[in-house]
Amino acid sequence: MNNRREFLTQSIAGAAALGLSSRCLFGEVTKDKPPTRFIFIHKGNGILPQSVVPPTFTREQREVEQRKDPFVADLDEHDLLEWMNPIAEHKKDLTILQGLSGKMCTTGHHTWCSSLGVFKANERLSSIKWATVDFELAKLFPSPFGHIEFACFPSGGGNSRGNINGIEKGFSARGPQQPNYAFGSPKVAMQELFKSVSAEQTAQTQYELERRMLEFVATGELNLAGHLQGSERVKVANYADALQEIRARNGRVEAMGDVLRKHLPQLDAKYFAENLSTVDRQKGLTEVLLSTLISGMTNVVTFTVDELGTLYSGLPGIEGENVNQHDVGHGKSVGRFEAIEVREKILHQHMMLVDTIVTRLKSVPERDGTMFDNTMLFYFPDNGETHHSNGSEWPFLVLAGSNSSLDISRRYIRLPAYGKEGHKTLGNWYTTILNAYGNPINHYGSPDVGLKIDQTGPIQSFIG
Amino acid sequence: MTTHAERTLLSNIRSAATTMCCVFVIASAGFAQGDAAFILPADVQSVITSRCVDCHGTDTAEADVRLDILGTLNLDARLELLNKVQDQLFFRTMPPADETQPTTEERTRVAKWVRDELRRHNASNLDKKLRYPDFGNYVDHEMLFSGEIKDKPFTPARRWLVSPQIFHERVSDVFGLTDRARQQTFYGVTNPFVLPDHSGVRDYDIATLDGGHLLVMLNNAQWISQKQVFGAVHSGKDRRKLEFSNAQDRWYPPTASPAFVAIVAKGFAPTEQELIDAIQAQFDCVLKRKASDAELTRYLTLLRSTIELGGNTEGLRQMLVSVLLESEFLYRQEFGDGEPDKYGRSKLASTEAAQAIAYALGDRGPDEKLQRAAAEGRLNKKEDFEREVRRLLADNAWFNGPVDPTLSGKNMQSHVATHPKLVRFFREFFGYTGALKVFKDEKRSDGYYQNPSRGTAGTPGFLVKEADRVVDRYLQSDKDVFRNLLTTDEFFVYHDKDNETGRKIIAEWTEAYEKLKDTDWKANPEKVIEENLEFIKSNPSVRILGGNQKREFLRYMYFWGETIGKGRTPFTTVSFAHGYTYNHSPFYNLPPTPHIFRYGAVEQKNFKGLDDVEFWDYPVDQPFRIANRKGLLSHPAWLIAHSGNFQTDPIRRGRWIREKLLAGRVPDVPITVDAQVPDDPHRTFRERVEMVTGKSECWKCHQHMNPLGLPFESFDDFGHFRIEESLEHPDNVIKTNQGNVADIYKTKPVAVTGHLDGTGDASLDGQVSDAFDLIDRLSRSTRVRQSIIRHAFRFFMGRNEMLSDSKTLIDADKAYVTNGGSFKAVVVSLLTSDSFMYRKVVREVN
Repeated sequence: MNNRREFLTQSIAGAAALGLSSRCLFGEVTKDKPPTRFIFIHKGNGILPQSVVPPTFTREQREVEQRKDPFVADLDEHDLLEWMNPIAEHKKDLTILQGLSGKMCTTGHHTWCSSLGVFKANERLSSIKWATVDFELAKLFPSPFGHIEFACFPSGGGNSRGNINGIEKGFSARGPQQPNYAFGSPKVAMQELFKSVSAEQTAQTQYELERRMLEFVATGELNLAGHLQGSERVKVANYADALQEIRARNGRVEAMGDVLRKHLPQLDAKYFAENLSTVDRQKGLTEVLLSTLISGMTNVVTFTVDELGTLYSGLPGIEGENVNQHDVGHGKSVGRFEAIEVREKILHQHMMLVDTIVTRLKSVPERDGTMFDNTMLFYFPDNGETHHSNGSEWPFLVLAGSNSSLDISRRYIRLPAYGKEGHKTLGNWYTTILNAYGNPINHYGSPDVGLKIDQTGPIQSFIG
Repeated sequence: MTTHAERTLLSNIRSAATTMCCVFVIASAGFAQGDAAFILPADVQSVITSRCVDCHGTDTAEADVRLDILGTLNLDARLELLNKVQDQLFFRTMPPADETQPTTEERTRVAKWVRDELRRHNASNLDKKLRYPDFGNYVDHEMLFSGEIKDKPFTPARRWLVSPQIFHERVSDVFGLTDRARQQTFYGVTNPFVLPDHSGVRDYDIATLDGGHLLVMLNNAQWISQKQVFGAVHSGKDRRKLEFSNAQDRWYPPTASPAFVAIVAKGFAPTEQELIDAIQAQFDCVLKRKASDAELTRYLTLLRSTIELGGNTEGLRQMLVSVLLESEFLYRQEFGDGEPDKYGRSKLASTEAAQAIAYALGDRGPDEKLQRAAAEGRLNKKEDFEREVRRLLADNAWFNGPVDPTLSGKNMQSHVATHPKLVRFFREFFGYTGALKVFKDEKRSDGYYQNPSRGTAGTPGFLVKEADRVVDRYLQSDKDVFRNLLTTDEFFVYHDKDNETGRKIIAEWTEAYEKLKDTDWKANPEKVIEENLEFIKSNPSVRILGGNQKREFLRYMYFWGETIGKGRTPFTTVSFAHGYTYNHSPFYNLPPTPHIFRYGAVEQKNFKGLDDVEFWDYPVDQPFRIANRKGLLSHPAWLIAHSGNFQTDPIRRGRWIREKLLAGRVPDVPITVDAQVPDDPHRTFRERVEMVTGKSECWKCHQHMNPLGLPFESFDDFGHFRIEESLEHPDNVIKTNQGNVADIYKTKPVAVTGHLDGTGDASLDGQVSDAFDLIDRLSRSTRVRQSIIRHAFRFFMGRNEMLSDSKTLIDADKAYVTNGGSFKAVVVSLLTSDSFMYRKVVREVN
């Protein structure tokens, strides 16, 4: 019998297998084939399921949609909602995926690593159960820097608390109890990621200072380890090795100097200011993100375009307002705009960023096509279906190039509703992606203890 | 850095006798190196031939193992095979129980030869395993307490990774913060350490730093050094006039090191002495010691170079970061110092001793008196250790603090204790904090259970805190501690105010209700408030004078009406208080208390009144007796911690008793076993467990667990006491409920008998009628008492006991008994033992 009880055992085994299988597959990308790039873009305050439904659905389709019965529609036959206009040109690459649930995640206002890790994350390191899905994919497609994360951090409370212009705990996790760190501003992202090729004297100096410091610490720890034996040696040697690995990573990026210089983000000075609008912050980080992908520094990026506590400024049409998303979540209007209209403005802004990314990647030749052919972009909420979410739905927009291993493009897909036979969770969805790209894990993510159907494995019909 | 002590000891190692279960190989000049010619002694060969080869020879080779070809194997293959043999002999899984057994002398002879052969090649896997918590009980209990072991106790010289709590305190120490200036959290510091979740002692000296720790520390070191430099740059300035790059991060240390100030204030290159002073200052802040000459030379080179390149301030900061990234900052160092005694042991250096004592009793480093004793050479002898340990145990202020700050959230604060670390031993030993990790289907609890979530530890958080209070109560009284913790029927539930405050609140509420109940309060509440305004103002426990007075007044009156008005005492916090989440009384089989929303509509026009619910008659004076509970093993926190998501876990409960209370062993589940409890709508969980574990191949292991765990079927997986089990299977549904109300299923009586063995006391071993009978017998067992002492040893020493620790354990046990069951006497005994005071450099198996 496949039920939730059985699933608990299987998912635990699956989690254990994850680390092993990932390691086994590490480095299996062939030199003849470009790597696949993955871009995870998530937002706060939920995405209302009804807000992604094409307006041109027939009455029958709308009824099926309202009943949340499973069905598939061809997007070629439909218009997109107005807020999706910026990506209308990419409709042939688009999937609107509805009906996933994520009740095994922390839901509600702030969810930290939950939506990427499919577990309940509550801001304590101990709540991080395993590497988030983006890190698992980064293991499958290694790159000089490895996974890179950007975030428009909240300033009005929320995850993660820190300097919104700094390098702070992000929303991804490197492994059990290991948070990742994200770049909060275009300036700090530029400084850190491109410091080895910076033309500025101060940045060059800072890079050299840190290089010397790391070399000094690593040398000291290596020397110490060399004098020790047995477990006492291991206690120091692991740490020394980790220092060496960071130096090696810096070395790999440094060796890409010529390529990096060619792809340096081209940003006006305003994007490097300490105080910049949220919209400018997003634009600036998007440019840095593109440079890291196009230069080959990384193959996997995660971008928190906002969190519930991110105060919005610079939104087109309401540039002068500081939009509090929590208020929007509670239906408060902003200026002359109703809350739902403000939501759409924010979504529209996000689609502008997505369009920038997709269009740019489509402009970069790669083998017989473009870089986008080997790219998957996921846009989704960090908490599910609404402001005070419970994880019953988790809408996704997916934009994938022609070499995608998933067969889902140009479609509106509604999966069976929560609790119904065939219903799928975030865990199934990520399992599908991992399986499709070479990680054979049985199931990724925590189980939903309230779900009484089989919830393991991939969504088989998605795998092309 | 290899310390002076390490070098001295390394060069002075003499041969030393190893004990059978010592997990280390003592360095000795007599050790053979490399792959010497293989010789199988005739007396060993004869045992192997007569006892093993029948099944593991040419013709049979069961499990693909052949012992007749040992001499023909290459070294790697031979060592691999010998490791297998060693495991089988040590864990007594071979020869099989139904075969003729070798004599004790034969078994010992073969085991000794196998062990020596493996150690000769530094290849004994068992030696490595025995350092891990799961293998603590493999040291023979009878031997440990027999008094026959005459070896001198010691602890191997070691690094011991700091605990999360110690790390946090060390950051406060880096900034030189004292008293109230010490911070609960630091804006830019992430604690890189997390202890394992399992029951039992978790903070062992076997943990190592890794890449994850480093990544976190790189960020921590940047932030800490920036604050140190900021404090130096702005030393003496008016902090109100300072500008901060991050408005949310305005904290910086109140004092700055003069050595740092001297460098950042200079417009030109610092002198060598200034550089030395700065390096020594950072060593003092971070590592609590002076830099050695060699270290000074290295750091001077770095500092000159970074200052030349980046200027005084940024150059200094790189040095500060470098010291913060020294692995020594993250390890406790215990190497011993001085000439080793004739057993190869050195006493802890006085500074190490001060830290060891302080970290044994709390998370903060040594207090001033302890530091002074170390500096003045008054921390060398056993009497010195005892004096300081007793002083700190009697000090109710130095360590006073929350038992577990991570439990604290918006609705609940952790229990505060004078010695949180002593409470922490018992919470780790019992493992009831595991309740925080078991997620439940809330509907199955009628919605009373709340899983931990962001900002709240939920229902298990409350339950864990209440278990902490039980532990602390008996630590404070310090009489018959173990027995009381195992058998008490008095518990704390809710109890967010002390007894006196609670009584006062109830008296004032009762007075108010009696005065107002016969007024026209339902129809005309405003008028009643106005007429009784002075009275209400004079009653501090009635808070209706802010905000919506009418609504608050009505809520109070309805709340009192269905509690005081029905002769019951209400809980002393009103359920309509903001953020109220006390809903867990049903998990003790106590009646519920009103939910936060119960009185939400009392002022609305269409309010129809309240349905009749029998709420809990709250005992203001706590602890109080609860029926059908006996000790921490019947506490909901422990029961939930040792349960699954949907059902009880008699196997884990039984295993806990076998391992934690009876010092017994249960082999790990063989990897070929995919243990699943079968579904069967007509059977209880016990019956289904017995169906699958009763098979002879399963029973070999399950006999050690099931009979001890099954009596706890008296409690369901939420901790409710029960006599009937709800058969939660779709075929058994009687009624499906909507929302957060549990579905109703057919039930069946639970069987709760069991069997106790392994106490070594014939008057205690035998059939048990239920969990209470079992608990009662366990509480009277010498073996149980000694087993708890063994775990206390592991907690305070950070390692498993070896046979050579025998005297330490016997002394601790004696101290407990002769002092009327005082746990503090155990602590004093352990912290003044040779195991605690002496270190010995050992050469380990790689």
